[in-house]
Amino acid sequence: MALAATLLHNAYFCGRCCRHKALQPLLGPLLSDSLSKSYSSYRRPGSQPEKKTTWQNVDLSFKKSIEVLKTQLGMLKKETEDHLAGPEGQSLTHYMLEQTRVVWEFRSQEDLNKWVISSDVEIGGKSEVYLKLGRNNQTALLYGTLNTEVPRDGETKYSGYCSMRAKPLVGSFARKKYYDWSNFNSLYLRVRGDGRPWMVNIYTDPYFSHQKDDLYNYFMFTRGGPYWEEIKIPFSKFFLSSRGRVQDDQHPIWLDKISTVGFTIGDKVNGPFQLEIDFIGLLNDRAHTEEFAYETYEKNPPL
Amino acid sequence: FILMLSLTLGTMITITSNHWVTAWAGLEINTLAIIPLISKSHHPRAIEAATKYFLTQATASALMLFSSMTNAWSSGQWDITQLTNPPSCLLLTAAIAIKLGLTPFHFWFPEVLQGSSLTTALLLSTAMKFPPTTILLLTSHSLNPTLLSTMAIMSIALGGWMGLNQTQTRKILAFSSISHLGWMTIIITYNPKLTLLTFYLYSLMTTSIFLSMNSTNTLKLSTLMTSWTKAPMLNTTLMLTLLSLAGLPPLTGFLPKWLIIQELTKQEMTTTATIISMLSLLGLFFYLRLTYCSTITLPPNSPNKMKQWSIKKPVNTLTPTL
Repeated sequence: MALAATLLHNAYFCGRCCRHKALQPLLGPLLSDSLSKSYSSYRRPGSQPEKKTTWQNVDLSFKKSIEVLKTQLGMLKKETEDHLAGPEGQSLTHYMLEQTRVVWEFRSQEDLNKWVISSDVEIGGKSEVYLKLGRNNQTALLYGTLNTEVPRDGETKYSGYCSMRAKPLVGSFARKKYYDWSNFNSLYLRVRGDGRPWMVNIYTDPYFSHQKDDLYNYFMFTRGGPYWEEIKIPFSKFFLSSRGRVQDDQHPIWLDKISTVGFTIGDKVNGPFQLEIDFIGLLNDRAHTEEFAYETYEKNPPL
Repeated sequence: FILMLSLTLGTMITITSNHWVTAWAGLEINTLAIIPLISKSHHPRAIEAATKYFLTQATASALMLFSSMTNAWSSGQWDITQLTNPPSCLLLTAAIAIKLGLTPFHFWFPEVLQGSSLTTALLLSTAMKFPPTTILLLTSHSLNPTLLSTMAIMSIALGGWMGLNQTQTRKILAFSSISHLGWMTIIITYNPKLTLLTFYLYSLMTTSIFLSMNSTNTLKLSTLMTSWTKAPMLNTTLMLTLLSLAGLPPLTGFLPKWLIIQELTKQEMTTTATIISMLSLLGLFFYLRLTYCSTITLPPNSPNKMKQWSIKKPVNTLTPTL
């Protein structure tokens, strides 16, 4: 079941161009690695046809550019102040004593805008996924219907996945910024699911393009009840996969350059699903001593 | 073992050469020998570090060969000490700057050190800096002083500034290396012997820091904070060595800085001397912060890693006391 979920990731990355319409025009030229275009001119049934080319979207008004420049310079100033203050913008004592940190909360629409949802509609499937604020604006509700009907294009074998992924951090002048989670060793999620198994994916900084599909995954099993669950997943349990295939050469995840975190459901069960997330945080579990859960033997022992 | 041998071979060839091609060959042997060492642990970050290292060093070697060729074209000889053609001098300065990691060519250095293991990082910051420094020494009379001093001042500034809120120990040592290189290169056109002295003292101090960090396996600041429970003596000597790197007076690290400032004032470059001493305050700040983390405050936390319960190899506690 989980293996099928990983195999579905094959097509997950192909539809990444769909989510760029949700991003600001400033980030468009930077992140428009329209993968579906670069592989072939065949447009998958789920993606919208390109009505306007990227260069036609450019807005050359002077006033707007001055405003943009002002916001970017403001961000740069803030970054410099953060640099002076200490690691991650907080003072060193704060960094030293920190044991928990909440990274993503869902209290308003702009918190929701930091996430992108996608499903197998990109490859022509029929699953639906929606993200909205839960009751009293305290949680985020990811809900929809999973449909495992395979799109008839002759090359897809499995279908039926939905996912939610955080947008990467962007610094001033559209530079990439990363999270530094080296002080922590577990992911702490407060969720209320419906009993379906989810997969948590962490994406780290890919400097060279051959690494851009590297993803660290682990499973999150939810209970169905009306009670909130606090799931702690240590980072030592995440295994490496690339484009959905689990890699042979496993290594522990390095936490000093994390880009995004995502949740995926793809358990080959037709039907509705629901996941309510209160917050996503980090924990430095002092009792956790495992460094890496897989392949702890020496791979090339000296003779 | 063969790789270590090739490293020594490459360094020896470069040091003892008086023809440009042998110098270049030695540098290439060094680069090629250390690439497998960097990418030994098949981690994507290590491979990324190895790729970045290879690309930058190959560009630098090519530039160096180009400068020696243009010099040979104009003057007809390949002797290292007789670099007469001005464009060649400029190119050579740039090439050596790329090899050493001076600003503005320093971008590869922290990432490469971060991607490699602690012992390889030690090799990268001390042994691999030696051949380019010897080439600089041999050609010190024909280098471009304005370019060198600008790059040196920028290195000291940048090494101090960027090191301010790093949490990974290898990156911190990378930035300290960049700023020390700045100190080394600022004096090279006036008194090359001081450069050599700075280099020796710097490599000694960095070796002791890397080896002490290797025995407690501290890759990030939080591990450094909890190492006092495991080897308290090592921790105090680590603190002293860090402060020595920063250049505080009673410790050895102050000696090169003092002599360099003295030499600069003799050469009527007092403003430069003041500027670089001010900028090294930035560096002092983060060294102090490291020592604050590791020794002065005693965090009540216990380390998580199982490796730290036993010292990996017998630690040389004498070198930090130098």
